[in-house]
Amino acid sequence: MFKKTNPLQSKSEIILRNIVVLAMVIFFTVFLIVPIGIAFAGSFHEWNPLSGTYRFLGLENYKEVFTSALFGKSMLNTVIFSAVVIFFRVGLGLGIAYAIYSTLIKYKSFFRAVYYMPVVTPMVAVAFVWKFMYNPQIGTINQIFGLDVNWLMNPKTALLAIMIMTIWKDFGYAVVMYMAGLYSLPTDALEAAKVDGANAWQTFRYITLPLLKPMTLFVIITSIISYLQAYVQILIMTEGGPGTATYLASYIIYDEAFVKYNFGYASALSFVLFVITAVFTWLSFRVSGTED
Amino acid sequence: MKRKVSSIALNALLLILGVVTVYPFVWMIFSSFKENQEIMALEQHLLPQKFIIDNYINMNAHFNFVRFFLNSIVITVVITLIVIYTSTICGFVLSKYKFKGRNILFGFVLSTMMIPWCVTIIPKYSMIQAFGWMDSYKALIIPAMFSGFGIFMMKQHISALPDEILEAARIDGANEFYIFHKIVLPMSKNGIFSIAIFQFLWTWEDFLWPYLVITNKDKQLLAVGLKMFNGQYSTDYGALFAATAISIIPVLLIYLFFQKQFIAGIAASAVKG
Repeated sequence: MFKKTNPLQSKSEIILRNIVVLAMVIFFTVFLIVPIGIAFAGSFHEWNPLSGTYRFLGLENYKEVFTSALFGKSMLNTVIFSAVVIFFRVGLGLGIAYAIYSTLIKYKSFFRAVYYMPVVTPMVAVAFVWKFMYNPQIGTINQIFGLDVNWLMNPKTALLAIMIMTIWKDFGYAVVMYMAGLYSLPTDALEAAKVDGANAWQTFRYITLPLLKPMTLFVIITSIISYLQAYVQILIMTEGGPGTATYLASYIIYDEAFVKYNFGYASALSFVLFVITAVFTWLSFRVSGTED
Repeated sequence: MKRKVSSIALNALLLILGVVTVYPFVWMIFSSFKENQEIMALEQHLLPQKFIIDNYINMNAHFNFVRFFLNSIVITVVITLIVIYTSTICGFVLSKYKFKGRNILFGFVLSTMMIPWCVTIIPKYSMIQAFGWMDSYKALIIPAMFSGFGIFMMKQHISALPDEILEAARIDGANEFYIFHKIVLPMSKNGIFSIAIFQFLWTWEDFLWPYLVITNKDKQLLAVGLKMFNGQYSTDYGALFAATAISIIPVLLIYLFFQKQFIAGIAASAVKG
C-alpha cells in the first residue's frame, strides 16, 4: 500500500497519501473494526457493565434471540413498518417527481425544496411535534378531521400513526432522488418513443420506468437499511407500547442495551439485525437483476 | 384548454401536498406563542389568539436551554468542519491517486455505511469509559472525525474534476498540499455543501451518543435536553413547543439558505453512484 508504484509521483504526493491512508486505517480500525470484534465476542457472553459480569455463555444469547416472542413480534412490526413506509415513499416520490418534471409545473425548485424540508429536520424534535399532533387533548389531527382517536395509546392505531409520521418525514428524499434520476435520463430514448408514436402513459411505462430502475433500487435499499435501524421515533412517541404494538427491532436493542444493560444479549440482537440487513440488501440486488 | 386544466389541477395537488408538508412546522411555531390554556382549549385556532413569548422565557427558567443550544451549536459546527476536511482530503486521495490497495480501501469505506449503529455502540461506549473520556467533548468529537458517507460523497465529486487542472498546477511546480488546499478544496463546493448539511443534521439530532457519554448537565446537548425536559415538564405544553421549535429552527434555516447547492450536491452523487 505504501510502495512507490508510479515513477511520476512526487514526494509530496507520497507524503500526503501516506498520511491520509494511515489516518483512515487507524480511525476505522479503532472505531469500527475493534468495536465489531468486541461486540462479536460479547454476544457469546453474559455481559452486564452495572454488575460487572462477563461470563461465557456459548450460543445462549443467540438461542434466546430466536425463541424470544418479543423479538419475533418486533421483526413482524419492522417488516410491516418498512414495507408500508417504503411503498408510499417510492410511490409518492416517483409520482411527485414525475409531476414536477412534467412541463405542466412551473415552480419546480420551489416544490422540491418544500417537500425536502422534513428530511432535514431532527428526528427527535419532529417526533415530539407529531406526538403532540396525535395527542387527543391538544392534538391538531383529531381537531382537523373531527375524530376522537387516541392514536398512540391504541394498539390498533399506534404503529399506523408512526408509519404516517415516517412517510411524512421521508418521502421528500425519494422526490429529490427521482428528480435527479429523471433529469439524467438519455433524451434520445424518449425522443425515439415520441417519433414512434408512443403516448404519455406508454412512454412512462415502457421507457421512463425501466430506466429509473437503478434509482428505485437505490431508494429501496437505503430505506431498508435505515428502517431496520429506526428507533428514535419509537423512543419518543410510544416506547414500544401500547403493549408491544410498536416495538421495532432496533428499539429492542436500545432497550436491552441502555435501559436494562444486557450488553451481551443486545450484541447478539445487533448481529442478527446486521445479518438481516446484509441479506435484504443482497436480495434487492438479486431481485432487480442489476449488476452494479 | 385541456392542457391548462390539467396544469391547474396538478399545481393544486402539489400545493396541497406542500401544505401538508409544512403544516406541522407552522402549527408547532404558532403553538409556541400560545398560552397553555389556549393550547388545551376545546376550540382550536391555528393563529395564537393572544400572542405571548413567555413560553420561551419559562422554558429557559426550568432548564438551561440556551446553554444546551450553545453547546450543540459549538459541537455540531466543530464536528461538521472536521468531517468536511477529512472527507474531502480522503476523497481526493482515493479518487486522484493511484496506489495499491486503493479499491480495497474504498470498498471498505463503502461497507462501513452498511453497519448498523447498534453493532458498534456498546463497545464504543465501553472504550470511551476505558479511555477516561466520559463527560468530555473528546468522546463526542474524536469518534466522529471520519465519515464513510462523507468520504464516499467527496470521492464521487472529486473524480469529476478534470485531471488537466491538477497536472497544470504540478507543471507549475505546486506541491500536492497546495493543490489540495488551493485547487481541490475550493472546487468541491457543491459536494461540501451537501455533506455539510447532512453532517450538521446528524450531529445536531443525535440523541443516544451524547446521552450515553455526557452526564454533566451543563455540558449536555439540545436533543438530550429536549427529551429530559419532556420527561419532567410533560404538561407545560407551551414551553415544550418552544423547546421543540428552538431545536428545529437552526437546521431549517441552514437548509433554506443553502438548499440549491445542497440538493444539487446529493442529486449529483446519487446519479453518479
